[in-house]
Parts: sequence; structure tokens; C-alpha cells
Amino acid sequence: MAHAEGPPHPVRSEPFYWLLFTAGGGVSAFLFPAHIVILGIAWAAGWLPDDALSYERVLDLVQNPLTKIYLFVLIVLPLFHAAHRIRYGIRHELRVEENKHIVASACYGAAYVGTAFTLWVLLRI
Amino acid sequence: MSAERRSHPVYVAPIPRFWWVRTAPFRRFVIRELTSVFVGLFSVVLLLFLLALSRGEQAYRGFLDWLDQPGIVVLQVITLAAVLYHTATSIQLASQIQEVRLGGRTVPRHLLMAAMTGGLIVASAVVAYLTIEL
Amino acid sequence: MPDGTVVLKVARYRPDRDAVPTFSEYEIPYRDDMVVLDALNAIKDDVDGSLTYRWSCRMGVCGSCGMMVNGEPRLTCAVFLREFRPKPVVVEPLRYFPVIRDLVVDISAFLEKLKEVKPWIVREEEQSVSEGEYLQTPEQVEAYKQFSMCINCMLCYAACPVFGLDDDFIGPAAIALAHRYNLDSRDQGRDERRAILGVHWGAWDCTFVGECSVACPKHVDPAVAIQRTKLDIATTSLKSVLWPFGGRK
Repeated sequence: MAHAEGPPHPVRSEPFYWLLFTAGGGVSAFLFPAHIVILGIAWAAGWLPDDALSYERVLDLVQNPLTKIYLFVLIVLPLFHAAHRIRYGIRHELRVEENKHIVASACYGAAYVGTAFTLWVLLRI
Repeated sequence: MSAERRSHPVYVAPIPRFWWVRTAPFRRFVIRELTSVFVGLFSVVLLLFLLALSRGEQAYRGFLDWLDQPGIVVLQVITLAAVLYHTATSIQLASQIQEVRLGGRTVPRHLLMAAMTGGLIVASAVVAYLTIEL
Repeated sequence: MPDGTVVLKVARYRPDRDAVPTFSEYEIPYRDDMVVLDALNAIKDDVDGSLTYRWSCRMGVCGSCGMMVNGEPRLTCAVFLREFRPKPVVVEPLRYFPVIRDLVVDISAFLEKLKEVKPWIVREEEQSVSEGEYLQTPEQVEAYKQFSMCINCMLCYAACPVFGLDDDFIGPAAIALAHRYNLDSRDQGRDERRAILGVHWGAWDCTFVGECSVACPKHVDPAVAIQRTKLDIATTSLKSVLWPFGGRK
């Protein structure tokens, strides 16, 4: 085996990112379709009631702490899901097999940046 | 006879650069993985939505106008298609992995998938209600 | 009673003479009940005695005769020629393994991986003989039975692109067998195996392509075994963080 330098040690970070990936997959699988239809299609198509996305109404809705927690989970977990899959896609499908640690750090790093940004924006509202 | 101790030459076939183009199952796999890009993309859209909201009414209206553009709507439709494929494959995969036992018997896979699909419908209805009616 | 002929294109590789494998075409008498292995044996007996390949039980239980048949990993004793005839049948050595000669590949990497995961009952303390056997209920056997059906044929490795790209990956069969023992009520080696499978080239390398389970002739479903292993390692890891005391083996 190519790696034999003493007994192999399990990687501490992989279970953590895999759990985030799984959770993010579930959140996006079950919640994104409705949000995409509402925000991305129904609004432009004029299917929503006139004041559904009015500034006052949405601000009021989002300022509720429960909404903020929901939105945090809704945005952040799928970011880690995408980061995890893109990380392996870069290695296996794009065949970038060198610098595995740098690629992984860049992918999860981008998700962490998104997390921090989400937190900051939610606190501002 | 690992590589270090081998006393004879062996032939190692090279892997094609784009190995995943070769078979239909591999192509389907790559499309499945690509849906994660659209998942990440929509997270960003949500984030931009909140950012506009945090900047005040004018910025918010500007974002809603941006959402109105035909090009953006097309992107959202593609995103929806990708995310629905992500949902379908996630339900397929999760139903294989997760064993659910009820009363000492394992729930058959197609029932599990039906239940999860039901969950999707319920979740979507709840999201719609909370976003539009409340 | 021969019903015409069938054409096989077989990969040949003689390390002392060839830099790369080539294909040789053989036309042999055909019977409707022939499998690819029968054809290889006919070629070796009547046409070219130098053709080299592995086989044993010819009934799908020994795992020796795995090869690529028309680009897919199959047990040659279980593939009927009538599936492809009248088109020529292409036979190549098992993919992603180094080729030693003709259709024979070097499987030592797999054997090392298999040993690594400790595919046997691990006990802290053995029961004494006077205490009798370790008893199991039918339900306890059912829990791991599916994963015990592996015949080590390595078709799953030939189907796995991750293994193809990185032969350090422990791979489907080894992980499925580790999972089989983790599920065995007599076994106490779960923690050891979690540590072994939790390395970079263990369960985490898998991206659930799922082709391993498609290729498996014994319906072991290694893909599911691997994902359940990931879930097990992850939840154990989470539990140890949230509740660092005790813990079952």
C-alpha cells in the first residue's frame, strides 16, 4: 500500500463534511423546488398576489428570528453540499488529481465565506 | 506480487481523459453531480435576495426587477429542472441507504420513495403558504 | 450439435514480446448453450494453446473468471454467447488491474486491501470451547447475510471509476466485506474497522456512482454497504463529539 508510514489514521474532517453534504442535500432536495418556483418563476410570471413580495411584507417576515434561522439553514447547508460535490467533481471528472488539500480547502473555504456572508446579512436585517 | 516485488513487466491501461463520456450510466452520474452546481447557485441567489433586502427598499426593488428579466427566468427554469433531478436522485439514493423498520419488518423501498415524495409535496405546500399567505 | 460459428476478439498480451495488448480474432464452432468461458476453452483446446486466462468452478461461485465482455465486467462462465451473436464477442482482461499476460491480471492489490479490513470475527475475548458456539437468531443472520455473498470476483473494482483513477481506494468488495463483519452480532471489531475505513482512501473516496452494485453477480450491493459505512463512521464520530463517554464496540 502506497501510504504505509505507521498505522493509517482516520481523517477527522471527512465525516464532518460528509454530514454537512448529506444535510445540505436533504434541505435543497425538499425545500429548494418550492423556493425556486416562487422566487424565480412565479414572481416574473405574475402568478403571485401583488403584495406577496413587497418590501414591507418581506422585511417583516425576515426580521422574525425564526425566519432568520430557517434562512440560514436554507442557504448555508446547500452551499456545503455543492462544495463537497464540486470538490470530488474536480478530482474525478476534471481529473485534477494534484493538490487535493488545496482544492478541498478552496471548495469548503468558499462555503465558509458564504456562511459568514449569510450571517452578516441576516444580522443586518 | 505487488509492484515493488514484481519480477515481470505488466501492462497498465491508461484511463481515458473523459472516462465518464463512455457509458450511459457514467454520463447520468455526471449529470447528477452537476446538479449540485445549480444547488449552490440558488443558495447564492437567495443570499443576493437577502443582501438586497438588507440594503433598503430601492436595492430590493432593483433585485425584483432583476428577477423579472427573461434571461434570469430562463436560468431559474434550468435551475429548477436541475434541482428537481437532484431531488429525484436524492430520494432514490436515500431510499437505498436508509433502512426503516416498522413492527419488526423492513419498509419496502418503493414505499419509502413514495413517502419521501409525499414529504416533498408537503414541504413545498408549507413553504408556499408561509411565503405567500402569511 | 454445432449451430454455425461465433467470432471472438480476444485481447492478447505477451510481456516478453508486446509493448501493448493486441486483439486476435478466433472463429469457433457455436452451440446455443455456450458461455464465453466455453469459447475460451475451445480456443485454447483447438486453436491456440497459448491463450492464458483464469477459471475454476464454471458455475459462478468461485469468482475466478471475471473479465471484460464487450466492455462490461462479467463472469465469463455466466455470459451466454447468444447475448451477442452474431456480432463478435470482445473479451479483455478485467479493467483497472495491471495485466500480467493475455486475460490474467495482477490481483494482489485487491488481496492486500481485503486483508487490511480484517474480514473475520474480531473478539476482545474468545468464548471458551466449553461454552459452545456463538448463537445467532435468524434475524441476526439476515442483518449481514446479503453482504456475505461476495465471491471476491472483483467485477465491482472493474466497474468503479474511482478505483480506476486511484488504485489506493480500498474499493467496493473490501468495504462491503468489512460492513458484513461490522453487522455480525458475534463481531467486536467495529471500532477497528471504522478507523481502517475512515482513512482518505477508504469509504470517503466513494462518490456513489453505483456501478459496482450493477456489476455484482451475487447482488451484494457494495454501493449501499459503502454509504452505510460512511453513515456509521459519521454518526459514531458525531456521537463521540456530543457524548464523549462510553460507547459500544
